[in-house]
Amino acid sequence: MAATDAIEIHGVSKRYGSGERSVLALNGINLTIPKGTVFGLLGPNGAGKTTVIKILTGISPLTDGTASVAGFDVRRESLKVRARIGWVAAEVILDDDFSGWENLQLQARLQQLTDWEERANELLTYFGIADRKADKVSTYSTGMRKKLEIALALLHQPMVIFMDEPTIGLDVGTRRMLWDIVTGIHREFGVTVLLTTHYIEEADALCDRVAIIDQGKIIAEGTPAELKARVKADIVELTLSDGTDPKVLSTLPGVQECRSQGTGWILRVDSSEEFLPRLLSAVPAEHLRRITVEKPSLETVFLQLTGRRMAQDEPMRDIRKFYQQMRRQRL
Amino acid sequence: MKSQFWGLYSREILRTFRNPLVLLLTLVQPFMWLAFFGSAWSHVASQESQYFGSGNYIAFLLPGVLSTSMLSVGMFGAMSTIQDKRFGFMKRILITPTTKEVIFLSKTLGSATRGLVQIPIMIFAAYLWGVHFGAVTPIEWAAWGVMLFFLAMGFSSLFLAVTAPSTDWQTPAVLANFVTMPFMFASAALVPTPGFPGWMKVISDLNPITYSALLGRAFVLHQTVPWNYLGIIVGFGVIGLVIGYFVSARWLKVE
Repeated sequence: MAATDAIEIHGVSKRYGSGERSVLALNGINLTIPKGTVFGLLGPNGAGKTTVIKILTGISPLTDGTASVAGFDVRRESLKVRARIGWVAAEVILDDDFSGWENLQLQARLQQLTDWEERANELLTYFGIADRKADKVSTYSTGMRKKLEIALALLHQPMVIFMDEPTIGLDVGTRRMLWDIVTGIHREFGVTVLLTTHYIEEADALCDRVAIIDQGKIIAEGTPAELKARVKADIVELTLSDGTDPKVLSTLPGVQECRSQGTGWILRVDSSEEFLPRLLSAVPAEHLRRITVEKPSLETVFLQLTGRRMAQDEPMRDIRKFYQQMRRQRL
Repeated sequence: MKSQFWGLYSREILRTFRNPLVLLLTLVQPFMWLAFFGSAWSHVASQESQYFGSGNYIAFLLPGVLSTSMLSVGMFGAMSTIQDKRFGFMKRILITPTTKEVIFLSKTLGSATRGLVQIPIMIFAAYLWGVHFGAVTPIEWAAWGVMLFFLAMGFSSLFLAVTAPSTDWQTPAVLANFVTMPFMFASAALVPTPGFPGWMKVISDLNPITYSALLGRAFVLHQTVPWNYLGIIVGFGVIGLVIGYFVSARWLKVE
């Protein structure tokens, strides 16, 4: 492991269960994350993002391969790893019966810190919740709870912070606030951030580098700009009226690929600006029910690499996670 | 390790007593035992004082109820562990340099300490019902407290060992229902055991609550003290702790 790397993963596989019903969650992934970066692990639900975090934080043992965090092997030196990492969960996990300060105190004890009060006060001030530190956490807003959770993760000055889908279930305003916090803590505290998300815009806005993960494999890695540059095409989605011969689409100049999806067609074209006039001259306007044009993005990268859209089945999964969280809070 | 243990141990204690309902029920429950069960049987004991060893059934009942309370305390500890897993708090703890052994010890000893709180309340309640403790010596008081602590520790450890690999909240609840009946009724806690049928006597002889109840009763009723029973309960607590420690270290499931 180079001194400049915060995380290194070599050929890591993870299998849950055994026998015929076992599931291969990670399939020999390799990843190197340099110190001081905000690194995004982008992929649909079930791709293996959370499993990567579980392995790196020592919560779940890897089946095969090696991984190290902050220079320590996650399998053999788990306690040393855990002293150097922070963790922010998808759903806020705090002790509601305790005040913000008491939550920090418990974290300090778990991290075996002695002089932690000054640092804790600085963090509370930085996040703008110092005046509420004596109040029970159950009286905090969602945004304040998230801030306190991040303060807990930063208290022991970790080298790496893991953020597992930190904005899931948050409203737009709180999500924006969290983005500012991630950018801010990275700048202010120089911490390496490994963030998992299935929100394309989140990875694009926050991450210096992004790895796209699908079905337990890393399928692409690079800066958002590098990844988008791989897609040398615009995506045009069309819905045609009945009776239109779709073959005409694939014969138009500049069309790289033409695929049916559901009731419509997805076309990869050299340039949407040049393609659209050709389309309108070949297909009568009244036969075109819907046209959408998409410039290269991380979503189109995923589409090109997998043939699927990342968000295809996300809304329902988000709702399930939301209700799961609500049930837990009620218990 | 010391600061980690202290952090988790104090959390166990504080969170119980910050919930007003839990606090109220903890205080009221001992009174209810003595009020309902004690009052219902008191006329029988007054007529059968030789059988019960005392004409005051509350004096007979108190050591038994204190012993069965330690069983409930152990179950509660297991349930709070399941709750920590379900709310993700266990994961938060384990993504720090805290070992599963420290978590187990803080939970077990936290539960046992919580159990001790009921002792003075219950003794005070029994005093109000006319039980006299004047002849109990300081050594006997201390021995009684130590014994109940080890009993609570033993039960708490064993329940934690059983629920360590589970995240299902129903497991400790079903288990509690299942074991309450034999532990409570197949013991010397509520009635003298000489009248038990043979098979029930066997269970009673294996039941730590029997020894705890008999030793406590000897203190309260000024009978000959079977000090070896203290050794049995301390042994039960230590064996439970060792089993729970190793099972939790190996199988404590995080989520």
